[in-house]
Amino acid sequence: MRERKSVKFNLQKQEHQNGHLSPFKVAKLFDPDASWDKDQLGDVLHWIRQSLALVCGLLWGAIPLVGGIWFILFLLLSSGIIYAYYALVLKIDEEDFGGHGALLQEGLFASISLFLLTWILVYSLGHF
Amino acid sequence: MASALFSNLKYSDSLTLVGISVSTAIVCEAISWLLIYRTASYKSLKSTIDKASKKLETMKTTGSNNPPSNILKSKTKKIDRVETSLKESSRDLSLFKFKSGAVVAVVLFMVFGLLNSLFEGMAVAKIPFVPIRLVQKMSHRGLHGNDMTDCSMTFLYLLCSISIRTNLQKFLGFSPPRGAAGAGLFPMPDPKSN
Repeated sequence: MRERKSVKFNLQKQEHQNGHLSPFKVAKLFDPDASWDKDQLGDVLHWIRQSLALVCGLLWGAIPLVGGIWFILFLLLSSGIIYAYYALVLKIDEEDFGGHGALLQEGLFASISLFLLTWILVYSLGHF
Repeated sequence: MASALFSNLKYSDSLTLVGISVSTAIVCEAISWLLIYRTASYKSLKSTIDKASKKLETMKTTGSNNPPSNILKSKTKKIDRVETSLKESSRDLSLFKFKSGAVVAVVLFMVFGLLNSLFEGMAVAKIPFVPIRLVQKMSHRGLHGNDMTDCSMTFLYLLCSISIRTNLQKFLGFSPPRGAAGAGLFPMPDPKSN
């Protein structure tokens, strides 16, 4: 399994080098047999994190959820979803992509800022 | 009707702040594109870094588990050479962007000065939790009173800058290459274009 994903990883690199990029398909996002380029996977994880930050910020601010514990909960929730996505849905071998740390930190800081910004704005504008 | 709704909101200034941040981010990226991203030097350095980092990955992941010592020594030397080349290219890229980033820095400084004059001493938003003491120094900067959930312009502007600029750079494809040195645990908006 690991060899198969590594071979696919190298073939994808050759495709890029030859300039024949296949169009990115939405189906690839849920395909455990798809091959991923490191940059492509990193970008997907980044945008998933930003979407989660936006949704959680809007939700937390609208209800509203108040207290630092909800910030911690957001961190755990978003990291858990990202981990579940690449480990269980995509079945990625994290060693091909720099390990769990590299994958989990994709877009983390920007998502924390975006979450805080959205949470603060919705809370301030919606409840005062 | 919209302006009446807008003026009824206690913290409507936060929307003004976000609007200014978005505009500033767009202007800064436009300036960066003009001075940095469209130049042949930048494209060449970026391409070199991308190739070197991919080559380094391949060299580190391929190969047998127990190679003979002379092959291992040769491979280690090759890896060191590529790493050195990658570091040099990353340094050149940083230096190149630093020289051109001064203009963007001036724009950001002016915008911060403008925002400071508009919102000094005013709480522009309400934070839904009490920040830790270290963060309070920024989130309560210039504000009166002891309510630590009052949010100063500085903190909100910082959040806007980081989130909007990072994502705008990512969306436009101006983020620094992943293989570049210093793309650490928390990648910020590309500081060299500040």
